[in-house]
Amino acid sequence: MTTRAQTRDHKLIGLATVVRLALRRDRLSLTSWVIGFGLFTLYVVVAIPAAYGDEADMRATADLFAVPMSRVLIGPAYGFENPSFEQFVTNGYGLYFLLLAALMSILTMIRHTRAEEQTERAELLRSNAVGRHATLTAALIMTGVANVLSTAAVVAVLLFVGEYSIEGSLLFGAGIAATGLSFAGIAAVTAQLSEFSRGASGLAGIVLGAAFVIRAGGDLAAVGGSTLSWFSPLAWAQQTAPFVLNRWWPLALPLILAMVTCAMGFALSAVRDFGASHFQARLGPGHAPSRWGHPWGWAWRQQRSLTIAWAGSLIVGSLAFGGFTQALLEAELPEVFRQLFTSVDLLTGYLAYMVTFMAFFVSSFAVMAVQGLRSEESTTRLEAILALPVSRSRWFLAQLGVTTLVTAVMLLVIGWSIGVGAALVTRDWSLVLDLGWAQLSYLPAVGVVLAVAALLFGTLPRLVPATWALVALSVFLGSFGTLLDLPQFVLNLSPFTHLAEMPIEKFNAWAAMVLSGISLAGVGIGVLGLRRRDVSGG
Amino acid sequence: MADAIVMQNVVKRFGKTTALDGTDLNVLIGEVHGFLGPNGAGKSTAIRVLLGLLRHDSGEVRVLDGDPWNDTVTLHRRLAYVPGDVQLWPNLTGGEIIDVLGRLRGGFDAARKSELCERFALDPHKKSRTYSKGNRQKVALISALVSNVELFLFDEPTSGLDPLMEAEFQEVVRELTAKGRTVLLSSHILAQVESLADRISIIRDGKTVEAGSLDDLRHMSRTSITVPTEQPLDRLATLPGVHGLTSHNGHSQFDVDRISLDSVIRELSTFGVLSLEAKPPTLEQLLLRHYSDQISAETRQVVLGDS
Repeated sequence: MTTRAQTRDHKLIGLATVVRLALRRDRLSLTSWVIGFGLFTLYVVVAIPAAYGDEADMRATADLFAVPMSRVLIGPAYGFENPSFEQFVTNGYGLYFLLLAALMSILTMIRHTRAEEQTERAELLRSNAVGRHATLTAALIMTGVANVLSTAAVVAVLLFVGEYSIEGSLLFGAGIAATGLSFAGIAAVTAQLSEFSRGASGLAGIVLGAAFVIRAGGDLAAVGGSTLSWFSPLAWAQQTAPFVLNRWWPLALPLILAMVTCAMGFALSAVRDFGASHFQARLGPGHAPSRWGHPWGWAWRQQRSLTIAWAGSLIVGSLAFGGFTQALLEAELPEVFRQLFTSVDLLTGYLAYMVTFMAFFVSSFAVMAVQGLRSEESTTRLEAILALPVSRSRWFLAQLGVTTLVTAVMLLVIGWSIGVGAALVTRDWSLVLDLGWAQLSYLPAVGVVLAVAALLFGTLPRLVPATWALVALSVFLGSFGTLLDLPQFVLNLSPFTHLAEMPIEKFNAWAAMVLSGISLAGVGIGVLGLRRRDVSGG
Repeated sequence: MADAIVMQNVVKRFGKTTALDGTDLNVLIGEVHGFLGPNGAGKSTAIRVLLGLLRHDSGEVRVLDGDPWNDTVTLHRRLAYVPGDVQLWPNLTGGEIIDVLGRLRGGFDAARKSELCERFALDPHKKSRTYSKGNRQKVALISALVSNVELFLFDEPTSGLDPLMEAEFQEVVRELTAKGRTVLLSSHILAQVESLADRISIIRDGKTVEAGSLDDLRHMSRTSITVPTEQPLDRLATLPGVHGLTSHNGHSQFDVDRISLDSVIRELSTFGVLSLEAKPPTLEQLLLRHYSDQISAETRQVVLGDS
């Protein structure tokens, strides 16, 4: 960036002022990011050894981290055969440092570029003696500073609190900074593409999500990742395998990506007008279809884009996980993995596990849908609807009804997708219908999650996000509950525990009915609560 | 049934803060009623109570002879609401939003929609995230005006509109009253209230401090008098009802309570009146008198002539 500053100084007039202004505006968020990174590092460096007691105890569970499904969540799992704490911590939790750095870069970049331009504050700046490239350069400098400081905090904690060895610590830190910079570059491009900051950060977020999915698929295939992993900007830093292989050369990839994307960002910004974008906001229809003028049609219109986004990514994921079946059957699996899939028949066990896992995602969608209602209320848009002859219960039941229908269809289609993925490699096409029904059988449990969110919305609307605790608990118990030998009453806290694990077990109509009853009761209380409470945006 | 809205001694608390603390409001059918008060006085809270969005703690509330909390849906068929800070669905166009709100109300006049879009110069094809504040306000206004209802609740309906659109709004309100509609108009634009409202209510800290026609309110308040006299007027300052007397080169200026006007004028005639100018108080003066402990002494002096 400094070379850029020297060669293009006529376009960079005022850069120093813009950077100072940005630093002044961001001093709080910048400090919070750095402290946040430091605390997160402190947590993994201190809490993990404390939780395990000693390295021998930790090694006993390390196998669990190296199984394919865990690799989806943690990365290529280098050094998990017989790990030391430094290997375990950096290779087991490194991915989340990278995700945080990528998020920090995207948010900082967009805040200082498109968000400024959108609110026309940048216009105030640009009307002064400020060069055309000054704001984008200042944003990149800011983001660079944020990455370097955050990384420094991480490395300092590793070295001085964890007393980790020096090369691995530096490599781990360098990986985080390099990944952060590559996403700063990606955001520099997306900031030129959309006219609105939400669109720009959304596009960068899609790239981040795709990077996660690609490396998840790649790392799932083998320890150390497969060729597919190398196509993901999130994978490169992990391929340095700090404290295990300690290789530096993979970091060339994120740095090259950062340089290429920054160059693209500058080129794109040079050929557009101020405030304009490469994807322009188009004019829309001046009339609405009549079906939107009904509470149910309106509810569907409002949930449509969330549904498409979730259904799309879950279907792609399901096809991928289904397609992984064959590789899994051929792989040599540790005992702990068989235990996880409980079954005599590994194929069915794996598929049943996937079905449960997907049901967790669908229940997350249900929580998001209710959070959407909450934001309708807090932005006062709900007021505009309820000032019409639409009663609260009619509005609420239409919204919840649409969410329920959408989750049911989503479950069915996801089940079919896992089935199609699996059938493509196993040639057993009977899996498609079986898995569809198996996946749909989780509807009552998803319904309970939805009902808890609805109940909170009706009675204590500020606590709607607390529903995530139920989702998190269910995911935890569903993934590790049996492995940790938790008592049954703890397992019973998750609504998902009570249903039959199809296709291993037969459909349990009784459990399904009880959970459906609980869901209806929850929704009922929610509706009553909403009818009695104040509705207002503040 | 001559009352469109009745609020009597209405109290509404949010936790420890009391937003409405004995609010009274009486809006007659067919009138434009100005609803005034400083920021945070409780105007929007009162309107939300009238809409049945908030439940009041005590007091009586009637809207079109119904209970806004229990008869919400029936009442909402007969009224329309425009909020002061309009938030729209960013990915829908203005035209789509007008249609959706109109249909959820149970039907609307499409010809009226195009007429109003024309009059307010709104492009209904633009996504609402691209609208300025004024344009968002227009979408809410048109959504309310396309419906054929008896009562309109306007909470600062023209904030962000330019003077041309402001004039258009006043014209539309006159058309509404010509058709016998009732309008509750909460506003900070005093010229708007002065030109439209038949009667006004002033609310402060959740209490109604003044209500009546503009004439009534003026009557209860002071008249400003500017008068050149042959003899100095100093002695007049001691009379009851005289406020803020200043004299300069034989020209004196003071305010006098309506109730003391007669006696002060009699006394005044003994000083040799050369000319006389008497002005009724403006709405601005009326208001500032009620808001007055929230403004600086200097502002008081300039606007009210208080000493």
